[in-house]
Formats: sequence, structure tokens, C-alpha cells
Amino acid sequence: MASADSNPMSQGTTISQTDEEPIIICRDMNKWFGEFHVLRDINVSVAPQEVVVIIGPSGSGKSTLIRCINRLEEHQEGQILVDGMELGHDVRNIAAIRREIGMVFQQFNLFPHLTAMQNITLAPIRVRHRPRAEVEDDAMQLLERVGIPEQAHKYPGQLSGGQQQRVAIARALAMEPKIMLFDEPTSALDPEMIKEVLDVMKELALSGMTMLVVTHEMGFAREVADRVLFMDEGRIVEQGEPEHFFERAQHPRTKLFLSQIL
Amino acid sequence: MAGRQRPRRLDRNIAYFDEPPERRPPITEVGPVAWVRANLFGSALDTALTLLGALFLIGIISLLLTWSIGTANWYSITFNLRLFLVGRVEAFMDPRISILFLFIAVLAGVNFAAWSRIHLRLWAILAAVLLALFIIPWLIAGAIPPPLTWLAAGQREVTSGSITARPVERVAFIAGADEEIVFRLVTPADDAQLARLNSFSDGMANTLRNAAANRLASEQRLETVRQELAGDRLTERQRAAREAELENTAVPPPVHTSYEVGAHPLSLTLRSGDTDAEIVNGTIAPGEELRLTLPQEGWYVLEKRVPDNDDSIALLSASGLYPVFDRSFIREGERVFQYMRATDRLLVEGGRPRDAGGADLPMLGIIDHQYRGERPLADFLSLMLGPFLDQLNLGLALFTAVMAAAYFASRWLERRDSDQEVPLRRLRRSAVWLWLVTIPLAFLLIIGVSSGPFLTLSDPQLWGGLLLTLVLTVVALVVAFPIGILLALGRRSTLPVVSAASTLYIEVFRGVPLITLLFMSMLLVQFVLPSLSGPDNAPYRVMVALILFSAAYLAEDVRGGLQSLPTGQVEAARALGLPGWRITLHITLPQALRAVIPALVGQFISLFKDTSLVTIVGLIDLTGVANLIASQTEFQGLRRETYIFIAIIYFIFSSVMSNVSRRIEASGSGAARA
Repeated sequence: MASADSNPMSQGTTISQTDEEPIIICRDMNKWFGEFHVLRDINVSVAPQEVVVIIGPSGSGKSTLIRCINRLEEHQEGQILVDGMELGHDVRNIAAIRREIGMVFQQFNLFPHLTAMQNITLAPIRVRHRPRAEVEDDAMQLLERVGIPEQAHKYPGQLSGGQQQRVAIARALAMEPKIMLFDEPTSALDPEMIKEVLDVMKELALSGMTMLVVTHEMGFAREVADRVLFMDEGRIVEQGEPEHFFERAQHPRTKLFLSQIL
Repeated sequence: MAGRQRPRRLDRNIAYFDEPPERRPPITEVGPVAWVRANLFGSALDTALTLLGALFLIGIISLLLTWSIGTANWYSITFNLRLFLVGRVEAFMDPRISILFLFIAVLAGVNFAAWSRIHLRLWAILAAVLLALFIIPWLIAGAIPPPLTWLAAGQREVTSGSITARPVERVAFIAGADEEIVFRLVTPADDAQLARLNSFSDGMANTLRNAAANRLASEQRLETVRQELAGDRLTERQRAAREAELENTAVPPPVHTSYEVGAHPLSLTLRSGDTDAEIVNGTIAPGEELRLTLPQEGWYVLEKRVPDNDDSIALLSASGLYPVFDRSFIREGERVFQYMRATDRLLVEGGRPRDAGGADLPMLGIIDHQYRGERPLADFLSLMLGPFLDQLNLGLALFTAVMAAAYFASRWLERRDSDQEVPLRRLRRSAVWLWLVTIPLAFLLIIGVSSGPFLTLSDPQLWGGLLLTLVLTVVALVVAFPIGILLALGRRSTLPVVSAASTLYIEVFRGVPLITLLFMSMLLVQFVLPSLSGPDNAPYRVMVALILFSAAYLAEDVRGGLQSLPTGQVEAARALGLPGWRITLHITLPQALRAVIPALVGQFISLFKDTSLVTIVGLIDLTGVANLIASQTEFQGLRRETYIFIAIIYFIFSSVMSNVSRRIEASGSGAARA
């Protein structure tokens, strides 16, 4: 299992948590929005089946980091490797990598003109070219897994926020990804609905999915994460196993952040 | 909720109660009086506005009604209905257009079943309206006799003002078998009675009527002048002028006595128009009636003779004798003459009766035997409304019946396997397919395939009226819509050349008036597409202009929709690994189009109305027909009636379109707008 790096301030070192080959590797990654330096010298690797939670104040680059991993944002320096493939300008590589990665957004981003079922089956049918009947069976199983099989033929506008987010998770899972990215999946939800989404995510983590989660849910991080990354001003400031991280944070910026939210 | 008892449990902290009884909202509706007070006369300003608006509405409506009942010549519509609907297309097109018409009824029925419910109550109302369309003409025909036709006979001329009418001894008319004609020789008691001969009349009877009316008018004027002179409200100059007027105005002797109207018997002869055989020969005395029953359908000739030494004018009222429209056209290479009775559309084909010298006999034609004078409501009903409804009712009833059959059949089929996961999904799919089938089928039926007997090619030059308007609109829409989408996508493209070209196209075509484009297309299209040259292909050249024009506008509408989409949609689709064109096809376009339905329908409606501009380049669309009719001899200069009629047609189609768009917006995955 994971072990905390002895020197949380160290940067430029690739941290591999297990003996396995990491499934995501970011090396010396940098990104700017115009003149603004959003990501600075990011070095992260994620092992298969690892659950990494990324926390940090707003504007710290958490979302940008995970959006770079499936190329919704383009990094300008450094290297990103996903499952051995390098993310560059090669369109085929991008497509191949996106097939490995599922993503869940803060605003759900369900397709409002399609039913829950159609939202889930669209990509498997159109991208993976699998037969519709088979895909629909799988989609039904996924909906059962996220606990809302009875909503299959409703449109997103007819579902509650929590239900929508669970459909969004099912949609991402339908592509059978190796990695799931969660970009603040519960931030737009009412408190009552947060739990239902977190439960689904926990179940997913227990089933062995590799997950990168940007969230403010510290309870979730404590309970589920193998590793917590703290980011500020585009840097990874500190990381470690949750027990270590929450109890004995080293860096003053981390301590300040934790003291404000806990 | 009644019937469901919850276990009542109490513990220290929490009490579980029965669900509270459901309460209905309080009744807040008010009576009609309160409604009127609140909404129409709420304040002084409201009251003033209500009264002003009501006065305005009442004024406009009563003007329009008075005119359309009393004066308007709606024969220009009823006689030309085919021209309005399909223009001058060949006769072999009629069954094809009927098939298309009924197919559209099927399409409408299936689409209603798929996308929105029609309540039984609405069907009942429709059925009642249709039934009324059959019953009203029948009632009118039964209750209101058609108006009389006034005919005069004599040896002398009749003068009124500068008009001099000469007697016509023989006049030809058409009639059906077993019809009864009643002639009556009228002796008017005074000029007032003569002046009220408001109905169909020949030239001489009309001149008598005018002469009597003029005499009464000048008599009245003199009476007014005398009264003014007797009073003391005139200046010296006015008094002098009035006195001169009194001096110089001679009131002619009463018309009915000076022409001895109806003083002597008249000899009448009725001959068959085909064989010239005498049917009846008799004399009719003043005040007497002559009833004739006609043996067969066809032409007849009426001879009305006053003895040579007789100076009197005979005034005949005839019922069963009505003016006819005549027209001629080429059918299968031969010229066909058709004569149609104005009142009931009795149709006779073939040559007119001729005299011994071979010249056409004078005919009871609508041009010389128009309806004169103000028309009472009864005549409006029997002459205008009844025949008009009679022309429409069968078509509308068939359309509604077919639509209802399609509606209930598709609902029944849908309900038969109601265990579908998504209700209506299959029906909706079939409805969309039906649309995709209808449009090519429509063009197949309208254009034809070859010169052979099956689906003979029709001449585009003959397309006209509503048919041409709809063909132009639908073609322009169906072709311009995909082009518009491509242009919108092109304008947003990241490829600079594509984006610049699309932008240039859009801006150029939005910057040029449609009229200019139409003229240019008439002249320029043939350089690019030589096969579209020549007058035959004018409709196709016009289509090119309409397509290019509306594509630019549709592109801007679609682009607006694309721009309104949240970026998250594309991101989510990309994250799922969908390639760019699939994102456009499955994610952005469907949402963008749905978002701009109102703008698109607005564009469709304005395109539908803009097709009226093709009149200017010589096509005879709905507006062209309206102009054309004003140049027909029978309806010379009658523009008001025809323009009002086409305005109503344009309005009906536009409002159907906007109604459908409202339904689309509200229907189905309306959740998309949540």
C-alpha cells in the first residue's frame, strides 16, 4: 500500500506508490492560461487501482490538472503518460487515452436532449460500436449499480441533482474506463444528495477503480483515499496517506488550509 | 390519503402523525361581472382604453362585414378557386394532387398521434364544423331562393344619363334538366320600385333602374333646395345659386310611365339551343306568370318580342335563369369551351347557340348581367356563402376523415403493444419516417417522372397559386436547411478558409435584398446551370435564389443556437471519446436546433411569405393569381376581394406553422429546456 513520502516538499521526483507500473505519469508538467501560470512543475504518478484525492483552495489548479489528463486542457510543457501512451498532439493517441478515462463533472453535463439510458449508451454504441441491445443491458446494470434503474427513461431535467450525477457516473463507466476522473462531483449538490453520490464513488473505489478525485469532501478523502494531494498556486504542496495528511500535515500552507476547513 | 392508515407510534422524541388531510386550494375564481370589472373597467384609464379598443374593433368589423355582404364580388374567388389552389396545372394533375392532399392528411394524423393528443371534444367540434359546412349550403339552398334576374324587352332604346341601352331580342342561357323557370311580367307602381331592382339584370333593365334612381335623386335634391329657400339660413349668393338651380333643373317625367314599363303583353318563345326547336311559345300579360319546365340540361334561347308598333318596355323577372361564366382552355390539344352558371356552378361544355348567320347569339354572361345594387344578406348567403362552402366542404371533410383515421389507427397500433419501455417511441420514429417519405413523394407527384402515361411530367410553367407557393417554400426549406447548418458549422470552424468562406457567403446573401436576388437568379443561374435556362424552368431558377437566400439566414439562426450551448456539453462528449463530427451530430446540433426553434420557425414563416415576391419575376404564385384575376374580364379591377382571400390563406398557413412550433417546443423531451 501507499507510503507517505518522507519529504513532502520534494518536487521533481516521481512518486510511485506501489511496485506496479503507474497508470498515469505526469512529468514536469507546466501549463499557462495566457500569462497566468496555472500548473507548475507537476510530477504525479498514479498506480492502478489507487484512489487519489486532490484538495486545495479554489484557483489552485486542481481541476486543470485532471482536465489535462484527458486533454480537455492542453499542457504546454512536460509529459503526460496514460497507460503507457503519451498525450501529445497525436489525435489517435488522444482518442485512445480518452477511451481509457471516464470523467465526472461538477455540473454533471448530462445531455439534456437524451434520456438517462441514451446518455449512457451513446458512447458505447457510437465509439465502441457495440450492439445496442447488449449496451442497453449493460447500461441497465450500471443504473442498478448507481441505484436508479427506475429512472432509465427519464430526461435529465426530470431527475434530481444527485440522480443526475449518478447517471453521469454510470455514463462514464459505460465506456469501461481504467481510470475515473471526478471534478468536484458533489459541489453542485444539496447536502441530502451528496451522500448518495459519495456512496456510489465509495463502492467504485472498493471495486478497484483507479480514481482521481477533486473534492472538498474531507470525510470522503479520509475514508476512501489512498493518497491525498494538496495543491496551491499550481503546485503540489504536500501529499500523503490520509491519516498522515490530516493529522500531521507538515507544510504551513497545508496546515492553514486544513485548519480553515476542518 | 383516505384508506391508508399509518401506524401511530409515539416515543419520547418523535411523534409520527397521520398524514394531514389534503386540502384543495381555496376557490379564487370570480363571477363574470367581477371579472369584467377587474379586467375591463379597473380604472378610468382602463375604461377609456377598453371603450376605445372596442369601438375600433366594432368599427373595423362592421365596415368589413357591410362591404363583404353588400358590395364585394366574391365570385372572383369562387369562380377561380382552382386557380388559387393549383394555378393552371394540367387536368391530369388533379388526381395526383388529391392523392398528395390525402397523404398530407395521413401525415398530419400520425404526427398528431405521435406528438400531441387531440381530445375527443376537439374531434367533436371538428365534426360539427364539417357537418355545418354541408348543412349550411343545403339550408341556404332550401330556405333562400336565388335572386331574380331582370330582363327587359321592347323596340325602343332606354337612356339614363349618357348611357343608352338597346333591347336584346334573343338571349342564350344554360339550365339543367327538369328545372323550372318562372317568368313574370312586372308593372312597377312607381319609380321607387324600379330603382330597387337589386339583382342580376341585363343592360336595359339596369338602365331603367338607373334612370329611375337618378330621377328620384334629382327630385329629392329639388325638394331640399326648396326647403332651403323657404328657410332663412342662406346668404344672398347661396340663395341666388339655389334659385338658378331650381330654374335650370328639369326633372324628367316618371320613368315607369314615360317608357310605359309593363303596360302591354309580351310574346315569349323558348327554343332549345342545340336543335333550335321551339319548346314554348306564348304571350304573357302584365302581372301574369309563365312557368316552364325544361326537358334537359344544356343551352336554351329565350326570344322576347314586343310587337313592332308597340312603344312600351316590358320588364321580366325571371327565376331559374342566371348568368354564366365562360372560359376556354386547351385540353388534349383541343380548345374546350366551358360555361358555368354563377349561382350553382352548373357546368355545360360545348359550343354556344348561333344565329342563322353563324354568329354567336348574345349570352346571359356574367359580364353583361352583373349583380347590380346593394346586396341583401339573403342574396349574399345564397349567392356567395352557400356556393363557397359547397366547394370547400368535401375536400375538408375528406382531409379530416383521413386525418382522423390515421390518428386513431396509429394510436390503436401504439396501444396494442403498450409494454414498450418508452411510450410513443416507435410511433414517433414512424412519424419522422413518414415525413422523410412525404417530401420526395410530393415532388414525385408534382413533377412526374417521364412523358409516358404513368406520372406524366407536368409543366413547371403551369404551376401556380398555393401549389407553387408551397412548392417554393418547401424546396427552399428542405434544401436550405442543411446548407444553413453547414454554413453555421463552417462559420464556427477553426479552419480559417472554411470559416472565412462561410462568413463571406452569409454576409453577402444577407446584405442583398431578395428581390435583387430573384432578378439576378432569373438571369444568372443559367450560366452556372445551363439546364435551368428557358421560361419553362423559371420556378427552378427562383428556387435557387430562395435557397441561397434562406440558407444564409438559417445559418445565422443555427449559429445562435450553437453559441448558446454551455461548453460543458462538448467537454462531456469529448471526455467520452466521441469524435468531433459525432459530437456535432449527436450533442450540439440537436440541442442547438431545439434552442432556436422559434427563430427557425420565424424564418420559415417569413420565407413562406417572401415567396410572394416571385410574382415580380413573372411567376403566378398565390399573389400572382390575385393579380391575374384582377385582369380577367369578369372581375376587372377586383383586387380587394382577391387580396383579402390570399391574406387569409397566408395567415392560416403561418399560424399553423407557429402553432406547430409552439407544440414542438413544449412537447417530448421538453425537459431539455429545464
